[in-house]
Amino acid sequence: MTTSSKAKTDSEWEPRIVAFCCNWCSYAGADLAGTSRIQYPPNARIIRVNCTGRIDTEFILSALDQGADGVLVSGCHPGDCHYTSGNLKLRARWAVMAEAVKQAGIDPRRIRLQWASASEAQIFADGVTKLIEQVKEVGPIGRSWV
Amino acid sequence: MTEAETGTDTAAEAPRIGVFVCMCGHNIAGTVDVEAVAKMAETLPYVAFSTTTMFMCADSGQQLIKDSIKEHSLNRVVVASCSPRMHEPTFRRVVEEADVNRYLFDQVNLREHVSWCHMRQPEEATEKAKDLVRMSVARAALLESLPVKSVEVEPTALIVGGGVTGMRAALDIGDRGFNAILVEREKKLGGQIAKLASVYPTGEQGNTLADQLIKRVKTHDKIEVMTESTVTDLDGYIGNFDVTVTTNDADKTHRVGTIIVATGIQPFKPHGYYSYGDHPDIITLAELEEMRLKGDVLRPSNGKPPKTIAYIGCVASRESGVKGHEHCSRVCCTAIAKSAGELKDNADEIIILYEDLRTYGKGHEEIQREARTKHVIYSKFPPEKKPRPEIVDGELVLHWHDVFSDDNLILKPDLLVLASAMVPPEGSEDVSKVFSLTRSPDGFFNPEHVKLAPLTTHTAGVMIAGGAQAAKGAAESITDASGAAAKAVGLMARGEVEIEATVSRVIPELCSSCHTCISACPYNAIAMDESQDPPVALVTEAKCHGCGTCAAACPSSAIMMLHSTDDQILAMVEAYLCAPMEPDGGAA
Repeated sequence: MTTSSKAKTDSEWEPRIVAFCCNWCSYAGADLAGTSRIQYPPNARIIRVNCTGRIDTEFILSALDQGADGVLVSGCHPGDCHYTSGNLKLRARWAVMAEAVKQAGIDPRRIRLQWASASEAQIFADGVTKLIEQVKEVGPIGRSWV
Repeated sequence: MTEAETGTDTAAEAPRIGVFVCMCGHNIAGTVDVEAVAKMAETLPYVAFSTTTMFMCADSGQQLIKDSIKEHSLNRVVVASCSPRMHEPTFRRVVEEADVNRYLFDQVNLREHVSWCHMRQPEEATEKAKDLVRMSVARAALLESLPVKSVEVEPTALIVGGGVTGMRAALDIGDRGFNAILVEREKKLGGQIAKLASVYPTGEQGNTLADQLIKRVKTHDKIEVMTESTVTDLDGYIGNFDVTVTTNDADKTHRVGTIIVATGIQPFKPHGYYSYGDHPDIITLAELEEMRLKGDVLRPSNGKPPKTIAYIGCVASRESGVKGHEHCSRVCCTAIAKSAGELKDNADEIIILYEDLRTYGKGHEEIQREARTKHVIYSKFPPEKKPRPEIVDGELVLHWHDVFSDDNLILKPDLLVLASAMVPPEGSEDVSKVFSLTRSPDGFFNPEHVKLAPLTTHTAGVMIAGGAQAAKGAAESITDASGAAAKAVGLMARGEVEIEATVSRVIPELCSSCHTCISACPYNAIAMDESQDPPVALVTEAKCHGCGTCAAACPSSAIMMLHSTDDQILAMVEAYLCAPMEPDGGAA
């Protein structure tokens, strides 16, 4: 299905979401969502990074450029970072990231930053659902070379 | 261990990836078509072998991986099973036993992230599983063998805080034959317990108890005591910390291998609660104890012995939504009972106003029972309608609602004692900064894991014990102290410790000497290498925790985060989004 989304009608179209999650909070939160059997849409593919501080603007732009309909960044709550302050660095960077996305002509509703701790399985799952809803409002991302 | 040699050649070899898809009984296979996932994996670049099995973590599954590595000359392994947070250590060990470097392993989470949360969508779950395996294989092809390094551990422990916790830890370490440096900010050792007139459950004076430890600590040939001193700087890493201890404005640096933070608790001054500070006869339980330690209990207003005493429990504790005061302080219920029971011998009437009672520890319930036997009166007030002290013509009048009689009551106590919350001591913020410790909303230091690893922290080599971790009594604190000391001794006795190879590395040719990484690093692990011209950034690997913040911050892309490189991450993005159409038509 990966490249066949363009062939589908709008009602059948399902957004493709790249989710960058930090190992210590949100990845663990997603684990707990599974352990708790919380059911949420299967659109997101999680890429595990040690810390949200690891996330480069390039990762987000590259994902959108390659056809991701949305990008989720999920990390520890401010003040709760496993590495003391990596998430604060990401938060500071996020303003620039959002601006970069806008300047690239991409609707900022395609990106979402959220904090979800290892115990906040529902918040994680709800965040994924929320981003999917946002992205569905915007529609499939344009892929100029297709 | 010298895994370095085993894997270094693989960088030159073409990747030969083995993909092992686990059914986890019905857990994964009940939702995901694992056979289809394994079949798809066969078609991916560099995949030399792909299979499924019932339980990959079982002995048979582990053996299958090892045998397949030999049979198919695999040099990379992808296991698609449960969360790597659960079994990554297991499978890293398995591949290592088959002479594949542990960093040439990657795990896909098909259970927690797929089958368990998309149980009613088997087709979509299978597609997601295929994507995740494709992404992992793309990453695996780019993984590099990393050397597993170890560093020596200096046989000296630093203990911060000279209360019972710190002293117990110092003695345990000293008795085991290692050096201990005990740093106390105050003039005297002993901490909070030395200020108590009667310590439950035995009723001994706190300073008598403390003195036993103080005497031993001071005469121990392995323990160096530094009073009126604070730790002002920390450099280095597990096994080799350089701590700066400041005594009377003079700095001295010590090399230590392990650290125990035992900074304890302090009683909160409850300004803003129950008219504290408005009348001399309203005091805290801690102030009452100090008064008893010095002599008789007398009313501060007139110096006469109080005949009627009222206590209020949970003062500034257990307050939902009030930061730093949401926790139960744990010691107060028993301490009130002990204090009231003892003072009842010389008072006419003692009444304890409580919200809830938690005399949970060994011998604590008996103390409460004894107080009741002595006719100390317990009266429960509703949490939404707390007691209200009033000062009428200089006289103290206490109004409250008793839950069990459902009646409004009034008392004119000679002394009102507030059992105030136990909170982190002043200066905890500085301690958290020096040792890179995080704090929970109640202000106490976070352990590595609240249940499974309560004494270690996320700063390797730094332990917490006693009140530093949460409000707790002396007995529990001392248990912590011995536990943390055992952790420290364990590290020092082994003599060397493995450090993670997943650190960041500066590519000197690309570094523009901008210092951005230095300010981004939460661990001061990056400094300018002044021996280069121009100076370039240099990472001290043992200090690096591997968060990768520097790699993302570097404007010149001059920092490589090992095991989490830009290429490895972007390969996953590409594998997901730009996968070729499957020849068999996609979804099964």
